[in-house]
Amino acid sequence: MRDNTHPMTVRVNQQASTLPYQYADIEIENNAQRLPLVLCLDTSHSMLGAPIASLNEALRDWTRELHDDVSLSYSVEVAVLTFGDAGVSAWQGPNLLPYNSPVSPFVPAHLFQPPQLKAAGVTLMAEALELSVQIVAARKAELRQLGLQFYRPQICLVTDGLPTDATGHPTDAWRRVVPVLTEEQRARRFRLYAIGVGGITDRGEEVLRAFAPTFNARLHGFPFRELLQMMSASANAEQRGAGDEVFEKIFSQFKTQRPAWES
Amino acid sequence: MTGHRILLNGLPVELSEQPLKSGGEAAVYTVVGNDGIVVKLYRDTPGPEQERRLARMLTMTPLGGRPTDRAQPSELAWPTAPARSPGGDFLGYAMNRFGEPQHIRLVGLFTRAQRLRLFPERVDWRFLLGVSWNLAFMTARMHHEGLVVGDFSSNNVVVDANGFVTFLDCDSIAFTDPATQEYFPCLMQTADYCAPERQKGGPATPASDDFALAVLVYQLLTVGNHPFGGVPHDSDSQSTVKDNIAASCSYVVQPERIIVPRGVIDPAVLPPTLLNLARAAFGPGVSNPQARPSAEDWLRALDHERGRVQSCPVRPRHTYSSHLHACPWCERAGRTGQDDFNVVLPPPPPPAIPKESHALRNSMIIVAALIVLLILLGALAN
Repeated sequence: MRDNTHPMTVRVNQQASTLPYQYADIEIENNAQRLPLVLCLDTSHSMLGAPIASLNEALRDWTRELHDDVSLSYSVEVAVLTFGDAGVSAWQGPNLLPYNSPVSPFVPAHLFQPPQLKAAGVTLMAEALELSVQIVAARKAELRQLGLQFYRPQICLVTDGLPTDATGHPTDAWRRVVPVLTEEQRARRFRLYAIGVGGITDRGEEVLRAFAPTFNARLHGFPFRELLQMMSASANAEQRGAGDEVFEKIFSQFKTQRPAWES
Repeated sequence: MTGHRILLNGLPVELSEQPLKSGGEAAVYTVVGNDGIVVKLYRDTPGPEQERRLARMLTMTPLGGRPTDRAQPSELAWPTAPARSPGGDFLGYAMNRFGEPQHIRLVGLFTRAQRLRLFPERVDWRFLLGVSWNLAFMTARMHHEGLVVGDFSSNNVVVDANGFVTFLDCDSIAFTDPATQEYFPCLMQTADYCAPERQKGGPATPASDDFALAVLVYQLLTVGNHPFGGVPHDSDSQSTVKDNIAASCSYVVQPERIIVPRGVIDPAVLPPTLLNLARAAFGPGVSNPQARPSAEDWLRALDHERGRVQSCPVRPRHTYSSHLHACPWCERAGRTGQDDFNVVLPPPPPPAIPKESHALRNSMIIVAALIVLLILLGALAN
């Protein structure tokens, strides 16, 4: 759905020009192998009201858990991308980055604070995924240059709808991203999770399945908290060096929301 | 909504609704009305060998001969009771709880931000040396009793404010049941601490524990640097700690092969005896388990060094090995603008002349010797 109140121009956030010092560089004393994590979140008009409120609350709770987890906060780095409003936005913690900013949106987990997200506008899902792939590749190059190692990054796409173009009309342009994502996942460059929430349609689910053949799901309601906990559990498994079957098990448990004692 | 009801030693208890911690294999729950224990439930129905393993473990009292009191916490989160469904199915087990904030996973010592948050005012290099000693001591003791830690990592060991360590996840320990001679292997591993022979599918052995111990001791003594960190010049784009271990590529031994992160501490912060052990473990010992220093080798060397720590005269919580002629933490603070052991960077030291610091150290040694003499004389007089 098109939201005409938002002009199709580049937005520059005032805060972005005065980023906190600690975000400006990689922490010199922490040589841990890094685990980049991208949250690629739908903030289009259909998320208005309870869904976006629940997403914001889940992000705040998850941030607290992330800070409390000595192991995850040691090596995870979080970047938030949103697609809604009039385009795709990259956030560095709570701060919106200027369009095409050269600044990395990744923030060490222990310093991460979530943005306050608002719902409006169109669903440029394909563009958001392309930006996700791009920031992950750029981050890897940056880390490598500094001599820092990284675990396989995780990208988590969350949506309640169908990809649209910039005017809010459904489009098939998302199909162009599929070969790229397929190749990147085959080459184990990242793990992509594609999660449909709310009233996502069969067609919406089909898109997610094309993006992420291994880790896609269609969930009732907006279980953002469980979703973020699943991302943490997967990050933990990645840190352990677990095999693919462990990730699949964690994901299937999340999909069915099955308690531990039921099998 | 309430949590699940299970039986512990036949007695019904109620578990917390949400797990304390949850992974692919199992989830750990607290028990309503009992803060002292936690219950680990397996995700998949555990098989008969898992149940037999637990039953055998419940008959054992590892490290049993050691008295424990309040100052000396127990050292293994050993299973205390089987957990069963009301219908009698085996689900998991109960163990004593070693939770935060009293017990922190070792990884919490490996970054400045977490060290200062979790161990305020407590941690200096002397403390890290003490934790290393406890870790080597525990490993040596377990090996002596025929137990192999197996999944030995910075996440499976917790440390308290006094530097005592406790091993978690004891259900993955490898051992041979003394009664039946049945061997229970360790099926878990953590890539960053996994010796190459285990990466290739080999069993957990005392030597694979010795590899993990060497990595952890090195990390402790260098405030968190993994000896297989850094990116090899000739690597592909996806280089990891695991790859560097497999390729026997450590900057401690062959710095020229690796792009070392700029924050890495000079390995020479380790006293020569310990650095030699590290070089053996991360050089020839990587591919040859026989060439690895044992837990006892580490224990002996650490024991020797514990009495030889000196304190920086300039800044608090700066302690270091006596083979160094200047405080490495002051030097680092000056270079990075961050003090590894203090929240606020204390004022920079006045320009020091090496001779003076020697003189100061010598005079301190004399004072210390006099104190020891007085104590001895006092003891004799009594």
